[in-house]
Amino acid sequence: MAARIEKDRDVATPSFAWLVGLAAWAIPGAGHLMQKRWRRGALAGGAVWVMFLTGLWLGGHLYSVTGQEQGFSVFFQLLPMIANVGVGLLYIICWIAGVGFTEHAQLVTYEYGNTFLLVAGLLNYLVMLDAFDIAAGRKP
Amino acid sequence: MRHVLWMVVFAALTAVVFGIAAKGTERQRLMYGIKVFAEFVAIAFLLGWILYFIPSP
Repeated sequence: MAARIEKDRDVATPSFAWLVGLAAWAIPGAGHLMQKRWRRGALAGGAVWVMFLTGLWLGGHLYSVTGQEQGFSVFFQLLPMIANVGVGLLYIICWIAGVGFTEHAQLVTYEYGNTFLLVAGLLNYLVMLDAFDIAAGRKP
Repeated sequence: MRHVLWMVVFAALTAVVFGIAAKGTERQRLMYGIKVFAEFVAIAFLLGWILYFIPSP
């Protein structure tokens, strides 16, 4: 019986869902907008965009692995970088433009900025999964 | 005061995404988002008062 239920649940994920997931990662909110979930996309994507831009404005900095790290110290860059990369193209554009990678530790709001930037990426992973689940039919 | 403002902005934006990603009806998700926001703010004030009584080195 349990095997039958598992078999029934084994539904192939449509390729559109993967495309939606990729778009949702690349541009916050795009995954929902592609599925005509206008309000959901505007709210979720808007929250991520506002959080990211506020983080930059507050003087936060984006993490990156430069290859100069020694030993375990690479993890202190890699883990927050994974969080930062969650905002998709915004991170890549900043990397190309060289914006946001300089530390401004003298600013009072520096730590706030870092937190905003980290959490913006993490929240976009959540938004991406939500868009993917909707496209795959796992969520209404 | 500005620290409180940024904390509230952070709580509000996070609560919006949590509310959207949650399961349930629209009303249930709205209530969940409000609950997350209230918890963020309440816990921040609680921790702030606890830290206030701990002397800094």
